[in-house]
Amino acid sequence: MTNTPQQPGAPAVEIDGVSFSYPPSGVGEPAVEALRDISMRVEQQTRLGILGPNGGGKSTLIQLVLGVLDPDRGQVRVFGMSPAKARRAGLVGYLPQRIAADIDWPLSVEQVIALPLRTHLKPWQSLRAEERDAIDRAMELLEISDLRARRIGALSGGQLQRVMIARAISTSPRLLVLDEPMLGVDIAGQQRFSALIDTISTELNLTTIVVTHDMRALVAVADRVACLSRTLHFHDTPDGLTPAVLAQVFAHDIEPILGAVHIDAHAAEDCDDPAHQHTHSHDCDHGQHRGGGS
Amino acid sequence: MSMFAVENTPALIAGLSIALLGAPLSVFVVLKRLAFIGQGVSHAAFGGVGVSMVLGVAGASMASNLLQLGIVLVFSVGAALTISALGRSQKGRIDTAIGIVLSASMALGFVLFTIAESRHDHDEHGHAHGAHADEHHVIEEVLFGNILDASWASVWVTLIGTLLILTTLWWYRHSIIFWCFDEHVCSTYGVRSNRMGNLLLVLLSVAVVLSMQVVGVILAAAVLVLPGAAALHLSSRLRPVTLWAIGIGLVGTLVGFAIGTSTHWPIGPSIVLVHAGVYLMALTTNMSMRRLRSA
Repeated sequence: MTNTPQQPGAPAVEIDGVSFSYPPSGVGEPAVEALRDISMRVEQQTRLGILGPNGGGKSTLIQLVLGVLDPDRGQVRVFGMSPAKARRAGLVGYLPQRIAADIDWPLSVEQVIALPLRTHLKPWQSLRAEERDAIDRAMELLEISDLRARRIGALSGGQLQRVMIARAISTSPRLLVLDEPMLGVDIAGQQRFSALIDTISTELNLTTIVVTHDMRALVAVADRVACLSRTLHFHDTPDGLTPAVLAQVFAHDIEPILGAVHIDAHAAEDCDDPAHQHTHSHDCDHGQHRGGGS
Repeated sequence: MSMFAVENTPALIAGLSIALLGAPLSVFVVLKRLAFIGQGVSHAAFGGVGVSMVLGVAGASMASNLLQLGIVLVFSVGAALTISALGRSQKGRIDTAIGIVLSASMALGFVLFTIAESRHDHDEHGHAHGAHADEHHVIEEVLFGNILDASWASVWVTLIGTLLILTTLWWYRHSIIFWCFDEHVCSTYGVRSNRMGNLLLVLLSVAVVLSMQVVGVILAAAVLVLPGAAALHLSSRLRPVTLWAIGIGLVGTLVGFAIGTSTHWPIGPSIVLVHAGVYLMALTTNMSMRRLRSA
């Protein structure tokens, strides 16, 4: 949909000092802080994995990048423009965490994949040849060309997910955002899925953001990692993910099971080591020295 | 009496126009599970009729007909948007919102009818009994429709309304389909989710108000459900489903009209009963085909 030239190394996504809280869910309830002072930069054609516990703000960050939510403070830019503008320009493809589409609809696989392109047509227009080619290519990449005429409700869970990814790349986006794509997928399935994401990203020169709370899934897909638990704990290559960092990120999940988290001095140094961090924001103190024992 | 008698022409045209407008919309109503909202809106329309009665705009002239239609339309669209907003504020408990709006509107309608009636009694001493009978007749017409009384003015309003609704539906079809199919994701692709939801509700409200003239408040929602519900048993692709729904709507209306005019049954309920019969046939056909395939 866009002919903007690819520029490896230039930022695809810039997040600068972003905070976001959800409004109170009822009278007398407090506002819920989801993200605090997040800054990071995702370079074009990299694959960023966002790791963090449930409720750590991963999906909120995605909604901010998609422009569905607006930050309370700070700024998000996608390819140098506002997220909403980038989205309207067809630069962003998105696979939601839970496929909530109504698969009872009498639509074929091909019709579903074409929906984002068709909504940008004038009422009297049909799809152009290059748009039809993009749909064909998306189906080829996802290996679902033989399902094109199949009714959307007649697919397996895995096939449906592939259709939704094909829909996400049908607009020829430059950024692909996948929210927990491997939830409930077995190890063999995860490996196949990682290979698939690798192929798509390479073939289409995509910048890819994958959100997950699964370490294995993350390491398989990402060449950059951001650890998120309300604040940003780590943003670097997967090699730098130390037990100390993971303990910080998942402290909230671990504590009820194993008690308070203690991190030894060496691990703490790891975390503070500037060589390991080209992040623009850290919160290495967060959760390191908690009282009490297990 | 023949259904093609000259005096039935306006009624027949209005009926077919309603069928043509209701059929494509019914596919969306069924698939997006808006049938109960349709019920809420049509009952809210009853409240709108009550308002117009109290304001004294109900009359035989074209101007008062149009004014009454306008008031009912505003009331119904308001009810639809209120249901939608209440449903959102109660985290998707749309059935509660419909229940509230439906019962409040019906209650308001009856209270206003009674106020209009007592005013009428007051104005015309000595004709109280006749006035009562008139009011009950009006209520019955509002509830069950009286298509045979359709004037050319109301036919024109129906035709123009049908053209507007079908054009809007065609204009926004891709975005509406995307919204109906995947409400939570379509906004990521530039479809304004709330706007599409409200647009469909407004179209539904206008369709309900126009249908009311033919089949009345109680049955208006039925012609906006049955053709689509039947068609969905006959195909699994959107285009054939829509064509089936239009066919069923038109034929069902013609047959219902023919039965009504030849037997003196009320026309509106006859049309709805034929549609219900077609729905049963479609359901049975679908089930038999499935059984044959699995055998």
